[in-house]
Order: sequence, then structure tokens, then C-alpha cells
Amino acid sequence: MRKISRRSFLASSVKAALFSGVGGFAVKGGASAESVSWSNWSGGQTCQPAGRYDIGSEEHLSSLLKKTSGAIRPVGSSHSFSPLVPTDGHLIVIDRLSGILEYDSETKQATIGAGSRLGDLGDPLAAIGQGMVNLPDIDRQTVAGAIATGTHGTGVALQALSACVASLRLVTPGGEVMDIDATNPDLLHAARVNVGALGIVTQVTMQNRESYKLKKREWAAPTEDILENFDELAASHRHFEIFPLVYSDYSLVLSIDETDEPIGQIEIEAVPSDDASIAESLGLSDNPTPAERRRMSNATASRIQATESVDVSHKILSNVRNSRFNEMEYSVAAEVGAECLREILKTIYDEKIDVQFVLEYRYVGADQDWLSMSYGEHSHATISIHRMASEDYRPYFDRIEPIFWKYGGRPHWGKVHSLTHKELSGLYPRFNDFMELRQELDPHGRMLNPHLRALFNA
Amino acid sequence: MKALLLRMFILRMLALAPILALLSTSLSAAESKLPSGGLSVTKPSTSISLGSEAMAKWARSCALCHITGEANAPVIGDTLEWQQRLQKGEAALLNNVVNGINSMPPLGYCMSCEAADFRVMIDYMAGVK
Repeated sequence: MRKISRRSFLASSVKAALFSGVGGFAVKGGASAESVSWSNWSGGQTCQPAGRYDIGSEEHLSSLLKKTSGAIRPVGSSHSFSPLVPTDGHLIVIDRLSGILEYDSETKQATIGAGSRLGDLGDPLAAIGQGMVNLPDIDRQTVAGAIATGTHGTGVALQALSACVASLRLVTPGGEVMDIDATNPDLLHAARVNVGALGIVTQVTMQNRESYKLKKREWAAPTEDILENFDELAASHRHFEIFPLVYSDYSLVLSIDETDEPIGQIEIEAVPSDDASIAESLGLSDNPTPAERRRMSNATASRIQATESVDVSHKILSNVRNSRFNEMEYSVAAEVGAECLREILKTIYDEKIDVQFVLEYRYVGADQDWLSMSYGEHSHATISIHRMASEDYRPYFDRIEPIFWKYGGRPHWGKVHSLTHKELSGLYPRFNDFMELRQELDPHGRMLNPHLRALFNA
Repeated sequence: MKALLLRMFILRMLALAPILALLSTSLSAAESKLPSGGLSVTKPSTSISLGSEAMAKWARSCALCHITGEANAPVIGDTLEWQQRLQKGEAALLNNVVNGINSMPPLGYCMSCEAADFRVMIDYMAGVK
């Protein structure tokens, strides 16, 4: 008889007692006791798919698509806040198409499985002497998802991740495998930011650079002081952005630059120790008015001290976000970015919108990808607003979104927005070209869900 | 009262700040690594084994947080921590996985997992058969 440890026995007994009599379980929107629904990262989007295809190889995917005809939607890490994924058809899961498939030490290019998570690539790329040119704030997305949605990092001279795609392989909805590269620039510019509407991307070749270290500096400063000099500050740092505090005159400021300094971090206690005396001087009430909130925020923010840290690039550029939220992000022309931001902050203040989440304001370099929010000849400012996942984001986002429209804003495809082809075709000069290409590659619309039908008038 | 209000405000603000205000959060990469062409995971501390397919799914998803304890995730093999979770009952535990709870997103990043997969993975991490 096999012996078991006392610990194991006790644990088994506990579990047997706890789980006895439990028959199946109910899940949100579940079609059956054992069928699990799908939700995005924030929980704001859900669906009950007919099933999931767990793709093991490109050949598997191609064969599957040739043999089937129903509705499909690709799913990566489910980090999109917009309803790109929900379907009552089948989800195409690309997790297993991961890893560095090949690389070139001379050109600093690496071919990567499209299901790789960005955060899983930093160390292996560093091991071959490469680093990605830029990364978004959250790095749990798959490469395919980040590129398809035009996900970007920060930097007036740095383009979205999609612009670093030297080539990619796309399996069309009919199962045809297409290699797309710069020999057909129009197709490449269309296929990078594809919103998951042209087919399933199985691998991408990224133009990387030699591995590098970055030095991050964070501090707090009056928002207007920064905005008045934003262009110069953005130009003088590899990455520069601010996180304006609502009901406050202050922003948290972040600059990042290349360095050869040793890896390390300086942490400084940021909590004021004499809050009682501050409260007396502020004269707080039980229900602070916007003016009182502003005084509190300013008093706190003014005491936040600068911190610095040095690390390899991928550990500086991306962060783990432990609290889930929903987000809306639009890009506007850089020259009207500050004005747009000011109007949003003023609206929150004047209308007493009950939100504490900071905004995010930064520049992103221009590119030529048809559906990129930075498409064109000039860099764009991007502005993000957020709401905790446990809160209803709609009233806040619905109030702010028209401000973005007023400044000609283009939405981030992976974030909440309410635009359809009617507005989008006027915001993206190549939008109609993309719609034609989509129709050509997916004539039966098997990759469309209600959201994409609205986007592409299909 | 005013001091308490301010303290609550500051604590709330600073509690949010690392996440919402993007202060002092640095990437602590999960233990799972993607070497050239593949994926390996630091061998976890548990006596229960998974099949190769389930192990691969676990390594691509749950392992992101349940090896390091990131975001207060119960660490694999920490029986005491897992017992506290198991006390909620299987139905509640699976619902938490499917719909997300606290910092854990719905499905725990395993988009291909079905209920049976999650049951096996919970057993694996809890060290319970």
C-alpha cells in the first residue's frame, strides 16, 4: 500500500469534507454546468462561446479554418476593454503559438510566436542580446493582441509596437497562409493593426535593438508647469509622460532614459508624517468640496519625493497592475493635446465627477499603419481615463468621450469607445481601404462579431 | 475627525497610487520564462503532478502569479493558504477563477481552460488530491 504523509492525509480529508455534496457549479452566463464563459481582464466584457479551439500549430489552425465555416474570434490575454472578442461562435486560443522561433544577431530581428506574452519575452530576448524598442505599461498581452490593437508605449520618437513588425504570418479566415512583409508595404501597413479582423496572426518578426538598460525617475510637479514645457521635456527624454491627479493642480511625472548605471532602486517614504497638522490647516469637512479635495491632493502630491531606479529595459517599461480597471484612450494631435487634457480635468472638477483614478498623458511617434491611432506625419498626444473594474465606467466615460471627439480624437482599438464606421472613416485616411481588404480576406464575415460589424459596416 | 479623514484620504490615494498612479511598481517577472523556442517553469513545490497538457496550460497562465505570490496570489504548495481558499467550497472557488476575484482576472489568463482543467490545477496548487 502506498504511504501518504500525515500532511497529505489531513489535506485530503479537509478537501473531501469541504467538497462533498458539491455537484457542478454555476458560472456567469454558463450554457451548462461544465461550460465556462469568457470574460476580459476587467470583467467588463463577457460572452458564452460555442467552444474554444486551442491551437497547437499553424498547420492545425490552417486545417481547422479550411474545414470549418462558423464564426470565430481570436483571443490573446483578454486585455482589451472593448468588445473585440465576444462571440457566440468559437474562440481561437493562440497561447501555444509562443516562444522565440528564430533570430538574427546582425539585424536584431527576432521571429516570435504570436501567442507569446510580452512579459515573457524580455529575459529570453536579453539572453540573445536583444531588447524590444518599446513596451506598453502592461505587458501581459500577447504579441498578436498588442499589435492588432495598436498598443503603444510612451515616447515622442517611438512608434507603437506594430510599427516594429518587420513581417508577419497571417492565416486567413479561409485557412490560407500569407507571409506579409515590406515587399508589399500597403499590405504590411494594413495587416499590422488589424483589430483581429483579417485572420489569425501566428508569428511576427520584430525589429528589436541591442539589449539596454533604462533609468526611470518619478516625481510630482504642478501640471501646468509641465504642460507649458511638455514638448521640450518630451524631446529631451526617451520617454516622458505625466499622470494628472484629478481634483489637483499636480501630476505624477515619469521620465525614462538610457543609462549605463548599475541596476538599483532608491525608494523614499512618500507618506506625510504630520497629517494631523495638515488636516488642521486644511480645515477639512466630512464631505469635501472639489476645492477641499484639491487642497488635500495638492498637499499630498507636493510631498511626494522623487524616486529613481535603473534596470534592464523590459523591467522599467512595463508594470504589474494588481487592481483591474477599465480604460478609454484617445489620441489627438500633439498641438491640441494639452488643451484637451485641461478640458477633461476641468469637466471632472466642475461637474464633481466622483473619480480618483489618475489620467495619463503622453506622446507617441507617428507611423504609417492604416489603423494606427498615430497614423500620419506627426506624433500624437494620447490621453487615458480609467475607472476601477468594480465601478460602472459608463457615466464617466460617456461624459468625457465627446471631449475627445471635439479634438478629433482617434480611439485605441483595445479600449472603450463608442465610434462606428461613420465616424472612423473620417478619422483614419485609409479606413475605407482597410474595409475593402477585410471584405476581400473575409468575404463571409466569419471573423465579425457585433462590435466589428459596427466598426466596419459589415 | 479631520485628521482621520485626511489619513483615510492619503491612505486611499497612496494605496491606489502604486497601481493607479503608476508609482513605485516595477515589473517582477513571473518565474515562467520563454527561452528560445520554448517555455520552462521553475519546478514548483508540490507533490501532486499534472499531465503534460495541463502542466503546459498551468505554466502559461496560473504560474504567472502562483509561483511568486504576486498580487497576493496563494503560492503553489502553501497548504495553509490554500486550505483557506478551499473552505469556500469548490463551486465558489471555480466561480472565482472563471469570473475573476481581486487581482486575478477571469480565467486566470488561461483562455483554453475548461472547468475540468481548473479543478485539476487547483488541486495541483493546493497539494490536495
